[in-house]
Amino acid sequence: MATDPIQQFQIVNLFPVAKIGNTEIAFTNSAAYMVAAVAVISIFLIAGTNSRSLVPGRLQSAAELTYEFVANTIRSTAGTEGMKFFPFVFTLFTFILAVNLIGLIPYTFTVTSHIVITAVLALSVFLTVIVYGFWKNGLHFFNLFVPKGIPIYILPLIVFIEVLSFLSRPISHSVRLFANMLAGHITLKVFASFITLLGGAGIFGIVGATLPLALVVALTALELLVAFLQAYVFAILTCIYLNDAIHPGH
Amino acid sequence: MDASALARGFRLSTELVAGVLVGAAIGWLLDKWLGISPWGLIVFLLLGFAAGVLNVMRAAGVVRDPTVND
Repeated sequence: MATDPIQQFQIVNLFPVAKIGNTEIAFTNSAAYMVAAVAVISIFLIAGTNSRSLVPGRLQSAAELTYEFVANTIRSTAGTEGMKFFPFVFTLFTFILAVNLIGLIPYTFTVTSHIVITAVLALSVFLTVIVYGFWKNGLHFFNLFVPKGIPIYILPLIVFIEVLSFLSRPISHSVRLFANMLAGHITLKVFASFITLLGGAGIFGIVGATLPLALVVALTALELLVAFLQAYVFAILTCIYLNDAIHPGH
Repeated sequence: MDASALARGFRLSTELVAGVLVGAAIGWLLDKWLGISPWGLIVFLLLGFAAGVLNVMRAAGVVRDPTVND
């Protein structure tokens, strides 16, 4: 058994797909888990909406619950106008949730524990906000950086700070998800390796090993919560940022 | 709820760090491009810190976010 807590994040090339210049583009274990997450979501939603009964069964109510949950999140943060972004937010939420939950299964790979994945997700939100903001509001989008009721002599300073605050969004957006998943999985692995190390140290070691074992059980429960919570936080922040594109300044 | 307090705390800390990082990155790039070292880094690190604090106060709801309609 591997006791190295970092080894679980290793990218493994499964088979080559294409070659661009001298760089080989390979289908990696990360890509395989993303495909698995998309397959799980698709099966869940297709099977859940298949029966279309008036009194929903178990699977159908789970699918409807997911829809209602995301729709309510969007309506409460970005208003009904935000519902045009429902497919985008729903995709982000379900994808991150599925990937996080699959990563909790022992011996699997956690896609969101790599910052390149979360950064691309956050940048897609950031660019959507910018493109849609300029497309819908034109130059009024810059009102976002000019808060009302600020004395004119400190306005330039405030505008600078607002612009920096805006630019920092994709960083905090991506680092939060990535760091949570990375830290959680490393902690789990470290405590789990304590069990085997202590277990090999005689009778007292086995008694002592129950302590990290109990901790790992508790941590797994916590990680389950974190997996859901971080998907939710990512979705709600996406809504808040999209709200800026829909109504910049007031 | 305890776990959402954890998420909240984590959100606040990343907001602050992100502001400082962006300020430092912009200042460093300006220094490099314009050859005004170290003034770009000094000024933008401070501005980035201010932006980080603003982010935190917005996330915590101390300052009302002008963009959130209610």
